[in-house]
Amino acid sequence: MTEPTTSSVVDLPELETIRRQIFLALFIALAVALHTLEALLPSPVLGLRLGFANILALTALFLYGARAAWIVILARIFIGSLLLGNLFSPGFLLSLSGGLVAMSMMGGAKTLFGRFVSPIGVSVLGAVGHIAGQLLVAWLVLVRHGGLWSLFPVFVIFAIATGLVNGWATVLLLDTLKKHPLFSSKGGNGALPPEV
Amino acid sequence: MLPFNRPIIVFLFLIVLAIIGLRQCPFDKPEMVQKSRILMDTVVQITAFGEDNARTIAAVDAAFAEMKRLEELTSFYLKGSDMERLGSAGSAEVSPEVARIVALGLEVARESGGAFDMTLGNLKSLWGIEGENPQVPAPDKIRTALKGTGMDALKLSGRKIEKKDPETTVDLGGIAKGFAIDRAIGVLAENGIRHAAVNAGGDIRLLGDRQGQPWRIAIQDPRHSTRFLGKLLIKDVAVVTSGDYERFFEKDGVRYHHLFDPRSGYPSKASRSVTVLADNAALADALATAAFVLGPEKGLSLLARFPSAEGMIIGPDGKIFTTAGFDKVVEWQ
Amino acid sequence: MAVTGLFSRMTFLDRIIVLTLLVGAGYAFHVAAQKKDGSRVVVEQQGKVVFSAPINGDREEIFSGPVGETLVVIHNREVYIGRSDCPRKICMGMGHIHRSGDVIACVPNQILIRIAGEEKGDDRAYDILSR
Repeated sequence: MTEPTTSSVVDLPELETIRRQIFLALFIALAVALHTLEALLPSPVLGLRLGFANILALTALFLYGARAAWIVILARIFIGSLLLGNLFSPGFLLSLSGGLVAMSMMGGAKTLFGRFVSPIGVSVLGAVGHIAGQLLVAWLVLVRHGGLWSLFPVFVIFAIATGLVNGWATVLLLDTLKKHPLFSSKGGNGALPPEV
Repeated sequence: MLPFNRPIIVFLFLIVLAIIGLRQCPFDKPEMVQKSRILMDTVVQITAFGEDNARTIAAVDAAFAEMKRLEELTSFYLKGSDMERLGSAGSAEVSPEVARIVALGLEVARESGGAFDMTLGNLKSLWGIEGENPQVPAPDKIRTALKGTGMDALKLSGRKIEKKDPETTVDLGGIAKGFAIDRAIGVLAENGIRHAAVNAGGDIRLLGDRQGQPWRIAIQDPRHSTRFLGKLLIKDVAVVTSGDYERFFEKDGVRYHHLFDPRSGYPSKASRSVTVLADNAALADALATAAFVLGPEKGLSLLARFPSAEGMIIGPDGKIFTTAGFDKVVEWQ
Repeated sequence: MAVTGLFSRMTFLDRIIVLTLLVGAGYAFHVAAQKKDGSRVVVEQQGKVVFSAPINGDREEIFSGPVGETLVVIHNREVYIGRSDCPRKICMGMGHIHRSGDVIACVPNQILIRIAGEEKGDDRAYDILSR
C-alpha cells in the first residue's frame, strides 16, 4: 500500500487541506511582510511600488486556484493597512481598489486562458489592473483632474515591467515549491515514494 | 466567494471595465465658458457655467453687449450720450440707468459726508490721470476745478439731473463700472445662468457659487504686485477693491494716484487700499471709493451704515482694519 | 542571461498580452502628448479673433491699434507683450502668461491676448484676483 512520507496517520485529502491552509497562512504572512516593507521604503515616483507581495497571490492562484488567491490578496490589503495604520484612509482605498481590479483580471485571465497562460502573463495583467484600479479611484474620489490620465501610459509601462519581474519570480518560486518534499506529497523528482 | 470560476462572469466584468475605461468622462459636469473683452478702459472677463455650452456662450455675449451699451451711455465722448448732453448744459433728462446710478451715488455721497463725489470731472481732467499726459496742477487751478463740486452740486428729480453750477462736470467713474457689472450679472441670470463671475479689472460680482464650492477671491497686496494678502471664500456677492496702485503716475519721486479727496483736490492719503463686499457692485464700487478717502476709522463706520456691506481698509501705515462680517469669509495668507 | 530565462518561460499567450499592453500604452501616450500641446495663443481685437497660434512655436507678431503698434511675443511656451506704442506701457508690465484662461492686454490699443487650451486644472490658489 502506498503511504505518504509523513508521520501523520490522517488520510490524504484532509492532509492536503491542512497543508493548503498552512501554506496560505504562510503566503499571507509573507505577502503582508513584503507589503509593509515596500510601503516603508521611499517610493521613487508618485507612490508607485514594486508589488512583490503579488508574487504570493500569484503562487496561491496557480497552486490552489482563484479563491485562495482572493483570500491572500484581501488579507494582505487589510492586515497590511492595519499594520501600517492607514486602515480606511485614502491610501487604503487606493490599495483596495488596485487589489480588486488586479485580482479580477488575474483570476479572470487564469479562468479564461487556463493553461495557455503562465504566471508571467497573469502577473503583467495583474500589475496593469492594479495601477488602473488605483488611477480610477484616484480620479473619481481624490483628484478630479483630467490631467491625471496623462500619467496612465507611463504607469502601464512601469506595471508591465514589474509584472514581468514578479511573474518570473513566481515561476521560480513555483518550481522550487513543487520540487520540495515538504510541499508536495509526490517528492523531489515527481516520483511517488517507494512502496513500503 | 466570488464566482470567478465561471468564465462568462469574468468576461462580462472585463467588458464593463473596458467600457468605463473607454468613456472619457462618464459624469456630466457643467461646461465652463470664459471670455474676455476690453471694455470700460480695462479687461473684463466673464466666467460662466452651464450645461448647454451654446446657450452659455450666448448669455456671456449678451452680457458683454449690455456692458458695452452702458459704456456708451455713460461716455463723455459719444455725441448724444447722456453725459455728453449733461456736460454742455445746466441740466439734462437722462436714461433710467444713469438716473439709477446717480440716485445711488447721491445716497452714498450723503452717507459718506461728501467723501464720494460724482462732480470731480474737471478735477480729473486737470490732473489728466486717465490720459496720456498726467501732471501735477498748480494749487489755484485745483481750487478752480473744485468749484461746483460737493454734496449739493447735483440734484436728481425723477430722471432729470440738475447741476447747481453749469461748469460742473459729472464723472461717474467711481460707480458706473460697478453698475455695468450688475447689469451683466442681470443679463446672465435672465438667460438662465446660475453660476458665473464678472471681473472688470479686479472689480467683481459673483452669481451663485463655483460648482458646489465658494469662489476663491484673492485680495491684492497693495505693495507687492505678485502677492496677495488673503482669500475671500464667497458666493453671490460683489467685491470691489480700490487701491493707490491701480492708476497712478510718478513725478519727482512722489506717486499720484486716481482716488481724489474731494475736499483737497489731491489724491487721498487716508488709505492704501480698500476692499468692499456688498450685494451689488455699484454700491460696493461707490463705498470703496468713499471709504478710501475716509480712511480706516470713518470708512468702517460708513460701511456699518449699509447692512449688506462688509469690508477691509488698509491704512497708510499698512495696518489692516476689517468689519466682523469680512473676517468671517476671509482666509489670510 | 536572466532576461532570456524570463523570456523562455513565457507562453505564447503571455507574449501576446504583453505586446498588446505595450501597444496600448504607446497609443495612449501618443494621445496624451497631443492634448498637452493643445494650448493656443489667441489675440482678439474688438471682440474678434484676429490671430491664433500654438503656444509651442516661438514667434513674434505685431498688431496695429488706435494708438500704434503692439508686439506680442511667444517664447518658451509663454506669451508676453514685448513692446507697445501706448503711453503708459501698463501692458508690458503685465508679465508672462502660459496657463489656460490667463489674459494680458494693451487696453489703449485694444489688443487682448489670451491662452485657450484643454487644461482645466485647478492649479492656481484662487479663482479671481480683486485689485
